[in-house]
Amino acid sequence: MTTIFNGPSVGRRLVLAAASLALMTGTAPLAFGQNLSGELVILNWQGGVDGEMWDVLEAAFTEANPGVTIRELEITAQGDARGGIRTALLGGETVDIIINTWPAFRAELMQAGILRPIEEQWASFGWDEQLSQSWRDLGSIDGVPYGLTYTYGDRSGIWYKTEHMEKAGIAAPPATWEEFLASFDALKAAGYQYPVAMPGKYWAHAEWFETLLLRTAGVEVAAQLAAHEIPWTDPAVKAALMKYAEMLNAGCCGDPAVMFANDWDGEADQIFQADAKNYLLIGMWMNARALGDYDLTEGEDYSFFQFPALGMGHDDTSSVDAKELNVTTNGANPEVADAFLDFIVSKTAADILADYGYASPSSEADTSKLGPVQQTATAAVASSKVQFVLGDLLPGDLGDEYRVQLQRFLQDPSESNIDTVLAAIEAKAASLY
Amino acid sequence: MARPTAPVAVGRGPSLISQAGDGRDIALAARGWRLKDTPAAWLLIAPVIVLFTISVLYPLIETIRLSFFNIVGLAPPSFVGPANYINLFADPAFRNTLVTTLIFTLATTTISVGLGWTLAMLCAFAPQQTLPFRVMIFAAFGISEAVSGYMWIGILRPDTGGLLNTVIGLFSPGFAHPWLGDTNTALWAIIVAACWSGVGLPLMLCFAAVQSIPKSVLEAAYMDGARPFSIMRHIMVPLSLPGVRVAIFINLLGALRAFDIIYVLTGGGPVRSTETVGYFMYRESMTQFKLGYGAAATVVLLVAVLVISIPAIIQRTAGAR
Repeated sequence: MTTIFNGPSVGRRLVLAAASLALMTGTAPLAFGQNLSGELVILNWQGGVDGEMWDVLEAAFTEANPGVTIRELEITAQGDARGGIRTALLGGETVDIIINTWPAFRAELMQAGILRPIEEQWASFGWDEQLSQSWRDLGSIDGVPYGLTYTYGDRSGIWYKTEHMEKAGIAAPPATWEEFLASFDALKAAGYQYPVAMPGKYWAHAEWFETLLLRTAGVEVAAQLAAHEIPWTDPAVKAALMKYAEMLNAGCCGDPAVMFANDWDGEADQIFQADAKNYLLIGMWMNARALGDYDLTEGEDYSFFQFPALGMGHDDTSSVDAKELNVTTNGANPEVADAFLDFIVSKTAADILADYGYASPSSEADTSKLGPVQQTATAAVASSKVQFVLGDLLPGDLGDEYRVQLQRFLQDPSESNIDTVLAAIEAKAASLY
Repeated sequence: MARPTAPVAVGRGPSLISQAGDGRDIALAARGWRLKDTPAAWLLIAPVIVLFTISVLYPLIETIRLSFFNIVGLAPPSFVGPANYINLFADPAFRNTLVTTLIFTLATTTISVGLGWTLAMLCAFAPQQTLPFRVMIFAAFGISEAVSGYMWIGILRPDTGGLLNTVIGLFSPGFAHPWLGDTNTALWAIIVAACWSGVGLPLMLCFAAVQSIPKSVLEAAYMDGARPFSIMRHIMVPLSLPGVRVAIFINLLGALRAFDIIYVLTGGGPVRSTETVGYFMYRESMTQFKLGYGAAATVVLLVAVLVISIPAIIQRTAGAR
């Protein structure tokens, strides 16, 4: 540097301009400050409204970076997309960015040498300004960040249609478990035979157990169970299923065969289209379906309340999910990939997410752009101790057995069957950890 | 035991082998080769061999090889010998799939072939008039199982909006049964759906077999005063059996490998009550990504298919010698 300043052929203005440019490129977000070019390949498995949102996000990025083109490697999957992603990667597909929602899968990708750590990018882009430490921790493995969370969702919220509650004379959503169970009678009297839409076909029936476990035993126990540091036969786990049984015995859901016939979308139809059922515990993607597929008005036609309080000392807990971006070691365009990560936590991206009913963890997100339902959910998560969705933390085999055994529980929620079901899950867990 | 020296296999029409001119060539021809024709023969069959090797042999060998490895997710594989096979038969979920597959295979084959054969017999009495009917039934065979699965979801919907529940509701108002959610009816609902698209092929095969019965045989029966039922029982049924055997063979193989319609209609549920070996293989390989374990299930399925196929192939091709 000294030699440049002393050089006779370099003018002072040129030196100042060069210094200014260096300063700018060192501090400004690269997504908007560099002449990025080339193709960015994103492995995307999301369709429907989420797929549309990704098209808009990508268009916004390429508009800011005209030299960049984005190609999506689309994975078509029903339910769990990890199989398709693994097949694509093992088949030799090269991508720059992977959209991921499974923490265990992030670890698998990292162990296979597919992921680049983003520790340096975190510092150079200054993501600490936009994301709190908890989001960094969520995407980290042994303290090293590999995933950049771009959206998250409350998984302990219950959706309902306002018209149904009015018809049943329920002035406010139930705040306690007792009120919740009591509301079944009011709803049945109003002509709704089974108030709770219970999608038992694949995995969504486990949502109730997961929040009940948090509310009866707390996030620490849930984390211990996910890591198999306590057995599935632990009394805390049984207590959660006993609470679940209370709901079934109160006539929430009808015949188990009806529960097994539908996934969450079919059960959502039963509430928002068929007007046959009332409550659905499901993630925030329900918002996009209500807005896009049912054409309902958020907060007016439908709404959302946080899981009712159980009074067991853990009502400040919520189950959450999150989606993150991972960058790969063999991507052809790592510079652009990093810039896209920076873009995804920008205000532009947060606003696009909000338009589609999704919350961004970025401090640049304007929460007033969110609809009333999403604001309720965001506030609930912000004030909660959170635990990632249990099913997504379990090894694949165990997750499968866990969901099948919970189907057996739905068939017979007696205490003796609860013991049988938990023993079966524990037997599987013991063979895997 | 002395091999035949006469060109027994060369008597039908012109062929390279039948043109053998001396005793040495005739002897080689009887063994299947003539020296000077060998390069040409290899050249002619080379494309088939290459394609067969790439598309069948290599995947087959690779699947068998994988079945001796423990491969979970993207982790590096480790050799485990026959452990996957031992674990497979100790796995209650897999044993359950064997029973489910057996029920599904026997039921779909019996119903599809039985119905197809019966319809073929009836159609044979008025071939021209029943042509549109046969075309419509066969068209269902051309629809992909995934597409027909989505159609059957509409028919079997659990609420009163499902077509089946609506029809039953005409006689029993308010009737609504979750056909695909009930462990007692889910497998049978899938069997009906599979038979709907599966009956077309047996119908056509059996119809073709009936049509190939020489008219003189039928005319002789009429002349002798045989009634239609007797003609069906004593002439059409026995003489259409070759078509029935082919239909059974094809249906058995299709049913053993069933996956698409199960994936679409129930995903193997409820409580694994509709999980066949084909679906288990998919779940272990693609959902759990236990490639070695899934490969072992594939090999077991392959053996089952071979056990059925080989006798049938031998029987069907024995006359070619």
